Amino acid sequence: MGMTAVEKVLAAKSGRASVKPGDVVSPEPDFIMIHDGVVMGAKRELDSLGITRLARPDKVLMVTDHDVIYGSARAAERGAFNRKAAAAWGVKNFFDVGRGGHGHIFPMESGLLLPGMFYFDNDRHATNAGAIGAFGFRIGTEITRVLATGTNWVMVPKTVRLTLKGRLQPGVYARDVGFHFAAMLKKDQLQADLDYRVLEYAGDLEQFGLSERAALCSTPTEIRAYGVFIPPSQAILEHARKKGQRPFTPVYSDADARFDADLTLDISRLEPQVSMPGSVENAVNISEIAGTPVDHAFIGSCGSGMWEDLVTAANILRGRRLAPNVRLFVAPGSEATNRRLAAEGLLGVFIEAGAVMLPPGCGPCNDAVIGPVHAGEISISTATNNNAGRFGAREAKLYLGSPATVAASAVTGKITDARSL
Amino acid sequence: MTTNSEFQWVLKGRCYKLGHDVWHAGGVVPNWIITGRHFDPQEIIPHLFEETDPGFHARCKPGDIIVTGKNFGMGPKMNGYIAMQALGLGLVCESMPFLAYRAAVGCGVRVLTDCVNVSEFCDSGDELEVNFRDGFFINHTRNIRREYPPLPDALMEIVELGGNAGWLRHWQAQQQAGSAAG
Repeated sequence: MGMTAVEKVLAAKSGRASVKPGDVVSPEPDFIMIHDGVVMGAKRELDSLGITRLARPDKVLMVTDHDVIYGSARAAERGAFNRKAAAAWGVKNFFDVGRGGHGHIFPMESGLLLPGMFYFDNDRHATNAGAIGAFGFRIGTEITRVLATGTNWVMVPKTVRLTLKGRLQPGVYARDVGFHFAAMLKKDQLQADLDYRVLEYAGDLEQFGLSERAALCSTPTEIRAYGVFIPPSQAILEHARKKGQRPFTPVYSDADARFDADLTLDISRLEPQVSMPGSVENAVNISEIAGTPVDHAFIGSCGSGMWEDLVTAANILRGRRLAPNVRLFVAPGSEATNRRLAAEGLLGVFIEAGAVMLPPGCGPCNDAVIGPVHAGEISISTATNNNAGRFGAREAKLYLGSPATVAASAVTGKITDARSL
Repeated sequence: MTTNSEFQWVLKGRCYKLGHDVWHAGGVVPNWIITGRHFDPQEIIPHLFEETDPGFHARCKPGDIIVTGKNFGMGPKMNGYIAMQALGLGLVCESMPFLAYRAAVGCGVRVLTDCVNVSEFCDSGDELEVNFRDGFFINHTRNIRREYPPLPDALMEIVELGGNAGWLRHWQAQQQAGSAAG
């Protein structure tokens, strides 16, 4: 019996010839990511146990992306604590304020994260690693055991395969595919349990570049997938070779690998999707909801913060102004993308349109530390999810769309199909 | 790692039966316990199952066993498991979201999951005996015996040591003993 991609990676990192779903292994990660919001808790827990030295400080990536510009005295205190923690632990790979960007984006862009790699992360959106053909596993507060010992237990997950058929029409994007997939599962038009599964894409994937692959990773994470994997195309391998800071070995599922479920989705006639408030699963065709007035808009997050996402939005905003009642926040995924936006004149497009540029990182899509919504307001965004209270008042209504839909809606002041502009 | 051979893997006590799809927030502990980041067992205990079974904490005894339907502990959090561990309760579920199971193990709760149809074989108040190491489930009231998947070996060690913090404390003690001996 062959192995799926995740089984191969976990076997290789655990020094085993093979593994199967349900096996408990302790894989040796390529690196260990810890985000700004959990460093203080982890450091205090380890200190209380007398653990002051990390097993592999050289493998640790500390990332300031959740609360980048300190909207409160408490956040500033945490930033200062984190800098002392990095020094005390001897962590050299510390991507602090203004140094890297979003931890689930810049490592793929810069070649730190490469095909076939495996890493531990305290945050569940580590699933983005699948965009480049790698795996990032969320370990929550158990990141302390990884920091102390270099690993932690992992139960090998099952894999669900989703084969995409056809090409997206112009003006329809990868985020739309994710929203639609979630709605199909909710409506039982596709049947699979994603709890603690890896969702592996197959089929007509050549059309998707790195940013679209990151978008494909986003929504399954919100419906309980533990990992997402997109077999790397030649273009992705070329990017990894060009940017790669070390050699890598891409991994693909065997032809006779066993999948927990095998699904197929025709995307050739898909319309732009909007997820209605409450869940990513509440996706409908945009034509059903177009015209709903909006107050707040946001472009960014793990799923839609890469260069191509921002180019798509800028192309809609160019020469236009936001509707008078709308505020639009834009959080690029990385410092590199921010610099490129400036160099290529796109920063000016956003600013001329009236958008507010946020520092690279999570933006409002982290507990509303910046740019939140108020009760009664209506938001449309590319946030990872639209659960009540995701970025501000629980009584606000949060809609989700692709970067194109959000940009078009911010211009007209109501939910708008960008193809109609 | 060496573990504790005295650990009580067999629990004998009363059954508290719950249905399917119990959320952690609301179903296990009130949401404010979670959002308020309460992790002290003494603070959480009075509120365990407060919204579904008021007074549960005063009636339950060490060794009692919570039996649930499918999908127990949705919206995985640790708070309720901290209280269950401190009260000496066991947990037997038809199914749990994996991260809820991981949280229960990480808090040192004696737990079995994937126990197919277990809630058909017991009712609240029945006298149960569950061996969490071997997966044996006995309902003495109804004279029913079933066998379920036990905890994997690697996870037994975590439960025996009281959860993740206990495991790390033990690991650190061993490191120090090793370096002192070396």
